[in-house]
Amino acid sequence: MPDELILNKEHLTGFLRKIANERELIAPVKNQYGDTLFEIVSCVDDVSLDLESRPVVPPKNFFLPRTEILFNYRHEGKEYRFEEALPDISRVLFGLRSCDLWAILFFDVVFQENFKDRYYLNRRSNTILINIGCHKPMQNCFCKSAQSGPFLAYGYDLQFTDMGDRFFVEIGRPGGRELVEKWDYFFEPVTQKDRNEQYEIVLEAESGFERIVDFDTAVSRFINDEVDEALWEELGNRCQGCGGCAYVCPTCYCFDIADRPVSDSKGERVRTHDACTLAGFTRLAGGYNPRHERRRRIRRRFYHKLAFAKERYHRPSCVGCGRCVEICFGRIDMIHFIRTVCEQPGKAMKASLRLGEILLDAGLISKEELKAALEKQADTGKPIGAQLIEDGVITKEDVARALGIQLGIP
Amino acid sequence: MRDKAQTLVREMVSNIYLPRPVSIKRVKEETGDIKTFTLGFKDQDKKDRFTFRPGQFVLVSVFNCGEAPISICSSPTFSGGLQLSIKKMGLLTGEIHRCTKGDELGLRGPYGNGFPLEQLYGRDLLLVGGGIGLAPLRSLIEYVISERSEFGQVTVLYGARTAQDLVFKDDLSAWDTEKDVNVITTVYRDSATWKGNIGPLTSLWKKAAISPLNTKAIICGHPAIVSYVVFDLLKMGFGEDDIITTLERHMKCGVGKCGHCSIGSKFTCRHGPVFTYQEIKALPSVL
Amino acid sequence: MHRVLTTCCFCACGCNLYLEVEAGKIIGVIPSREHPVARGNLCLKGWNSFGFVHHKDRLQYPLIRRKKHLVEANWEEALDLVAKRLLEIKERHGGRSLGVFSSAKCTNEENYLLMKFARAALKTNNVDHCARLCHSPSVIGLNNAFGSGAMTNSISELANAEVILVTGSNTTEQHPQIARFIFDALAKGAKLIVVDPRRIPLSRFAHVYLQPRLGTDVIWLNGMMKIILDEGLLDETFIKMRTENFRAFTEILRKFDLKQVEAVSGISVEDLERAARMYAGVKRAAIIYSMGITQHVSGTDNVQSIANLAMLTGHVEREFTGVGPLRGQNNVQGACDMGALPGTLSGYQDIASEEIRKKFERVWKTDLPSDRGLTGIDMLHSVGDKKIQGMFIMGENPALSHPDLKATRAALEDLEFLVVSDIFLTETAEFADVVLPAASFAEKDGTVTSTERRIQRIRRAIPPVGESKPDQQIICELASRMNYSMHYESSAEVMEEIAMLTPIYGGVYYDRLDKGWGLFWPCTNPDHPGTPFLHKGSFARGKGRFEYVVYRPPAEMPDDTYPFYLTTGRIYPHWHTGSMSRRIAALSRERPEAFVEINPKDAKRLGVANNKPVRVISRRGEITVKVRLTDDVPENTIFIPFHFREAPANILTHDKCDPGADIPEFKVCAVRLERVQ
Repeated sequence: MPDELILNKEHLTGFLRKIANERELIAPVKNQYGDTLFEIVSCVDDVSLDLESRPVVPPKNFFLPRTEILFNYRHEGKEYRFEEALPDISRVLFGLRSCDLWAILFFDVVFQENFKDRYYLNRRSNTILINIGCHKPMQNCFCKSAQSGPFLAYGYDLQFTDMGDRFFVEIGRPGGRELVEKWDYFFEPVTQKDRNEQYEIVLEAESGFERIVDFDTAVSRFINDEVDEALWEELGNRCQGCGGCAYVCPTCYCFDIADRPVSDSKGERVRTHDACTLAGFTRLAGGYNPRHERRRRIRRRFYHKLAFAKERYHRPSCVGCGRCVEICFGRIDMIHFIRTVCEQPGKAMKASLRLGEILLDAGLISKEELKAALEKQADTGKPIGAQLIEDGVITKEDVARALGIQLGIP
Repeated sequence: MRDKAQTLVREMVSNIYLPRPVSIKRVKEETGDIKTFTLGFKDQDKKDRFTFRPGQFVLVSVFNCGEAPISICSSPTFSGGLQLSIKKMGLLTGEIHRCTKGDELGLRGPYGNGFPLEQLYGRDLLLVGGGIGLAPLRSLIEYVISERSEFGQVTVLYGARTAQDLVFKDDLSAWDTEKDVNVITTVYRDSATWKGNIGPLTSLWKKAAISPLNTKAIICGHPAIVSYVVFDLLKMGFGEDDIITTLERHMKCGVGKCGHCSIGSKFTCRHGPVFTYQEIKALPSVL
Repeated sequence: MHRVLTTCCFCACGCNLYLEVEAGKIIGVIPSREHPVARGNLCLKGWNSFGFVHHKDRLQYPLIRRKKHLVEANWEEALDLVAKRLLEIKERHGGRSLGVFSSAKCTNEENYLLMKFARAALKTNNVDHCARLCHSPSVIGLNNAFGSGAMTNSISELANAEVILVTGSNTTEQHPQIARFIFDALAKGAKLIVVDPRRIPLSRFAHVYLQPRLGTDVIWLNGMMKIILDEGLLDETFIKMRTENFRAFTEILRKFDLKQVEAVSGISVEDLERAARMYAGVKRAAIIYSMGITQHVSGTDNVQSIANLAMLTGHVEREFTGVGPLRGQNNVQGACDMGALPGTLSGYQDIASEEIRKKFERVWKTDLPSDRGLTGIDMLHSVGDKKIQGMFIMGENPALSHPDLKATRAALEDLEFLVVSDIFLTETAEFADVVLPAASFAEKDGTVTSTERRIQRIRRAIPPVGESKPDQQIICELASRMNYSMHYESSAEVMEEIAMLTPIYGGVYYDRLDKGWGLFWPCTNPDHPGTPFLHKGSFARGKGRFEYVVYRPPAEMPDDTYPFYLTTGRIYPHWHTGSMSRRIAALSRERPEAFVEINPKDAKRLGVANNKPVRVISRRGEITVKVRLTDDVPENTIFIPFHFREAPANILTHDKCDPGADIPEFKVCAVRLERVQ
């Protein structure tokens, strides 16, 4: 079986129908309301497949459900019993785009490093991924800058290229080969002309981006701590705390775990999507929150997506899908951020945090109080901490906490 | 329909999120809001397989409440069971406090990096604890005493808000009787019944005759107290990698995945919660 | 796993989202991208709107109070008991002794059926709902000025306004998707004027920010209009052609002394001039406002002033302009539209009009009481002297949301008979004699109307939890036990009846609602496309009416014993009385506890510290609550959100009301603060 084949478009439905008979077929469907979502397709003829628009949310919910039951637990007398819940999965994800597929490959790494995540792998191991290369990037797409598209070199089970009346099919991993071999009569061999045409489509796609985004400069400025404090302040003000960026991002996977009681004798432990931009994400039981200020959380988010990912996985985890760009209330999406960081004039001064500023930062005093204390301090000559304690604005404990921050104890 | 790959996952990949039931063998009231629970594993196998290092923690599951990270306060050499000292702070810990002998909890772990024993062998140890912070230190102290020849002089400085808030009172007395172990206790606020030291931990330096020479300092307690102590130790000449402490962060999975406890590129539950001051300085504090 | 498109259950932005359903449970939501307001995103509440549906506390069985305790019962006995007791009270004391609270969270169909039940079966016009506490001044004030009490333009038009004036609305926290359109406008170069006694987050983006003292809105509005008049910035053509009573209005306005502005409101004339010139100096300017304008004893006056301002500058009746009262609850607009009000039937048709009554009597096949009923506030006031003996409260929680809680709770306690239908055992349900478990928004079909008058579908995603029933079913089953048969095959059938009787909903049918994104009322017949912006060409009442408003101060001002202003309100992660939001983990985690916002200068003077408790005392009662220091409140003012049952802000508020709208003055009362020893 060769690695490249042609599937005439008139055969697509037939091919998918065969798949849908044996496994769960998930494909992007434009519903009656005009929204394109990845849906479980039981009858291929009844739905309107949409291979042109970007689905509203990435397919990550099929691997990391928004709410996932990890196990059921119950009380039997004094006994406390746990019973895991693992669904049987057998499915084909058709019509993925390179950005979303790349995100799944990213999850494959994340959910197997240090330990293998049984729940993720249960869903992932029996899912075949069929990519559709983007022959026409959309307005806010920047997968080329993010190096996750518009076409992939590996990682897919099958990769389709839309050539007008037919698809150019590349076989990648064994899952793809299995599908094609099973229903080989749908496919035709590839000619050199086909190959040339496909290559041209790839080149054209790569040149069709409206958004060129300089990840490298932004990441290096970030890592070298050259980003102005004022930018973080502005981002913090603009963020409206909706959590949307984390919910729609293909590579965001932070989660919360909680017990959900069903009755007095049983319940479920569930894993749910979480967003690091929310205040409660890091707040401790006693009320202390190391990321009390919103701008710290925004900073952490971008750090994690860009610098941390680069450090750990050798490249930022942003796939350039453009979803956050389209939905952010305050317009502090990835493109805006990178552009602003890159356009900053030169090296910014490293802000050396003084105690007063630390206290202000942590929400322990207000700007007016700091100003008043500084004025008083000019007369009394007392250290700012002592002045503020004397004025009853803060307690010794607050100072100690600030001291901890100053010493670098987070 | 399940295929080979999925079957393989079911057979080969363990479930790191699934707790195992443990039963409460004993409950000891330390103070008004702190109790020490001794736990036993349900079947012998699991007990044999459960090993840990001092400074590690477990995630304790409480019925219909959820999970919370609790430091292990017994030594790995202790054969009587796993001990956890728990302060009543909220819903979940309140529920644990209502449990009695025979009740069951869930356990996951041990997690965290534990104290860096390799760095402590042959050194003098200065262990400073505040309030419930003595709990993880107790694991270390008991271990050190059981492997006495491996370590040098041991000084334990312990403080709590009032005499009623002191934990492990029996252990503190017992440790003081051990060879080359010096225990000094203080309370921050005076009371009629207390006859010992009064004042913050930082008032004990002279009495304890601290020297940074060949000494490793390990501090556990409320972040505010830790800050003051670290400040003084640095002034005394302790090296940045000779000061060790634990960081507290909101934790959920305990295995470095869910993101809650991340600081910069580290996860407090995996790369910590024990860190040297040098490592802490390298963590981006504004993140 | 499948998905069901529905409308969010929290605020009145009306975002549409898909509920993800798997194995009979709702496991997630996905926003609609095509929806003109949702636009692919939701606010934090929207993203977590499903989190309460499967909570353990959901009422699953009817409860009947036996020997002081609520115990589980079956539907038969519960409904029989309710019917029996309500009939008894009706027979003995007349229909007027019964009162009904309808729900701004329930569907249009349910609101219609409940007010029908009240009027046709119980023979009472004592029907009201929580709009009383929020936008009743808008309903009346804008009706007087324009002829229609709703948002004049659609939400998406805001993106194309040149100037937006936001007053008394903490838009980014309460109507995040509307704030998003404001941000869009700003990105296009629009200017923003924010007028609010608190430094709300939106004020950071304002080009002009004015911080008036609480309860002084008429002063700065009149001041602004005086400046516009003096500088000739008014739209004379518009005034001449579209309005009336202008001469009488200007005769008094001319005499307005601008010195009052700073003296009374604290706003400097220079700042007000900047705002006035900005607002009046463009073609397309919009005003949006919310509780900060309405929840005052001068609420209706405040609304009339806003209407005056818009008419003066010709910024109404045109696209990308208008006056936007931002409604709160997901269906408070609909509840008003459906006539869950004491003086009107559906479509704001006057109950006192014999012609209107006859129209309804024909379809409802029974006589209807003709005298205006009591408002929600008056109903509870009338319990003490036995004028109201029995109440049916559906999906409302006055035991936490009404002012002067001590008196409110005493009234609920005093009621001869109280039946409550809700999804959780709320503070109000705890007073009930019978509690009926209701189905949530995800468990029933119906329609809801958003703040921009957009009528949309909610769709059933899962069957009702436990033995709960949709309120539509509860009302019909109850009615049939009370000699008044109400039977509908579906909610679509109810809407057909509504369409028949309600001109502004005349063309609303379910098959039309399934195409496109709902219908804007007025939609008077099946071919009418709906009306995104109102008053095109002429005001609903013909000509817009100017009415000069004289300033009246708040009912209770700070004095020596109670020297602080208390203002109450809401915060982003929570929703009203918290019965839903505090049971959703992600939301509750954001703000698990009650707090009071105090200015640091005041805190220092009083000796209270951040995160420590403080006692807040008013003439009505006191609460103890944690301090949160912030510069966002001016000195001498404190802010307490009303979501938290353990520190209810409404223990402190008073129930003096606006005379026209009967809305309590939630936004201003006097308190004192004391350290906790």
